[in-house]
Amino acid sequence: MDKPVIVFEKVAKNYGETEVLSDFSLEVNRGEIITMVGRSGCGKTTALKLVNGLIKPDSGDVYVEGRRVADCDNTELRRNIGYVIQGVGLFPHMTVEKNIAYVPSLTHKKGFALANPRAERGRSQFSLKGLFSPPKIETAQLLSIVGLEPDLAGRYPSELSGGQRQRVGIARAIAAQPDILLMDEPFGAVDEITRRALQDELLRLHSELGFTILFVTHDISEALKLGTRIMVMESGRVIQVGTADEIINNPANDFVRELVGGN
Amino acid sequence: MELIKAIINIYTTRGSWFLSLLIEHIRLTATAILIAGVLGLIIGILISERQKLATIVIGICNVCYTVPSIALFGLLIPFSGIGNKTAVIALSIYALMPMVRNTYAGITSIDTDIIEAARGMGSTNPQIMVRIKLPLAYGLILTGLRQMTVMTISMGGIASFVGAGGLGVAIYRGITIFNPAMTFAGGLLIALLAVVSDNLLGLLEKQYKRKRRMT
Repeated sequence: MDKPVIVFEKVAKNYGETEVLSDFSLEVNRGEIITMVGRSGCGKTTALKLVNGLIKPDSGDVYVEGRRVADCDNTELRRNIGYVIQGVGLFPHMTVEKNIAYVPSLTHKKGFALANPRAERGRSQFSLKGLFSPPKIETAQLLSIVGLEPDLAGRYPSELSGGQRQRVGIARAIAAQPDILLMDEPFGAVDEITRRALQDELLRLHSELGFTILFVTHDISEALKLGTRIMVMESGRVIQVGTADEIINNPANDFVRELVGGN
Repeated sequence: MELIKAIINIYTTRGSWFLSLLIEHIRLTATAILIAGVLGLIIGILISERQKLATIVIGICNVCYTVPSIALFGLLIPFSGIGNKTAVIALSIYALMPMVRNTYAGITSIDTDIIEAARGMGSTNPQIMVRIKLPLAYGLILTGLRQMTVMTISMGGIASFVGAGGLGVAIYRGITIFNPAMTFAGGLLIALLAVVSDNLLGLLEKQYKRKRRMT
């Protein structure tokens, strides 16, 4: 078995007097989808942002691919981690194409001439039939991967539906071929039917491309559906981590029981 | 009617004089607009990253803005003498305020989610400024530039009080030799220049909005 991709080691984080995370530990294995579920303010988003260094822990450590986040170049780290946030955060002044090309363009002035980092790391088995193979990723290809028509490339985010925006957000996050995806309630702002379609799409993408995903949600059914393992959080503490079966059949306490029971 | 005839008359007989005044006026105000535009943009960018500094700088700009223009011109004479230099300095000081304020407002009003998304994807601070913040603030910056341009062109009319050139010379001379037509003719050209500049910048704004599909 591979070493864990992401490790949280006894992380604590306070905002002033408020304890956001305490004694937070977790090991995420390669290819897992960890869904983090809990009420708003339970610290799940904070935990997510520790991974790409947007938030620094007060104590404890976070490791990504064996490297301590506090020690490595965060800019470089972030470019190798896909990031999808609530409300998507698409850049309103850029077309869909420019949005998708954003991360590759940060490092390569002429956009898409990327080497294949997967191949370099000797894990070419993950590259989907040469889809992500060098030297070019086509925007059109990325759009079709996330289930969008290629002719949307020239549109602005304001001209897209909510579901389309979410898909573009995902396309943008995977454009630089990251191994890790951080998703912060990415499907929060769309209707139920679109959300289900997006969830299925994500599962398909995951099985094809084998990312490691940290997925924050407040919706327990979404968490149970997507997660390889589900992490239930409350008041900055991990209440239970386990597969959907374990969570449903052996809830750790009343809070988890209630959470699952309501489903 | 008399006045209109007199104005037409003065334009035809002293056309080249008015033309040279107009050119001088454009030169003078364009210099001030350029200085204030560049400086205002830079200051606006700098203070958008530092909240405490922003309060102080905008406060100072506001104070400068409330000093009556004629008093500011007068205050500057001991330092920079009379002539075009003083005029350009005074006009630049005035023009700075709308530029700084709009640049600052444009940058700080951007949705923080967008900034955080950019940061989370591995943008450096300069990259965020150049590729995200400034393009998104462009609309407000352009509005500031437009306001400031019109204001500077009209205020340029009183620059002749500190011995500078420009169309204010015609206004001032008209007053001193009691020739209302000359005063009016100078004022009219200033107004026309302001309207034309406003519309040109308006076109730029429209083009931007069309590009962003905001209309």
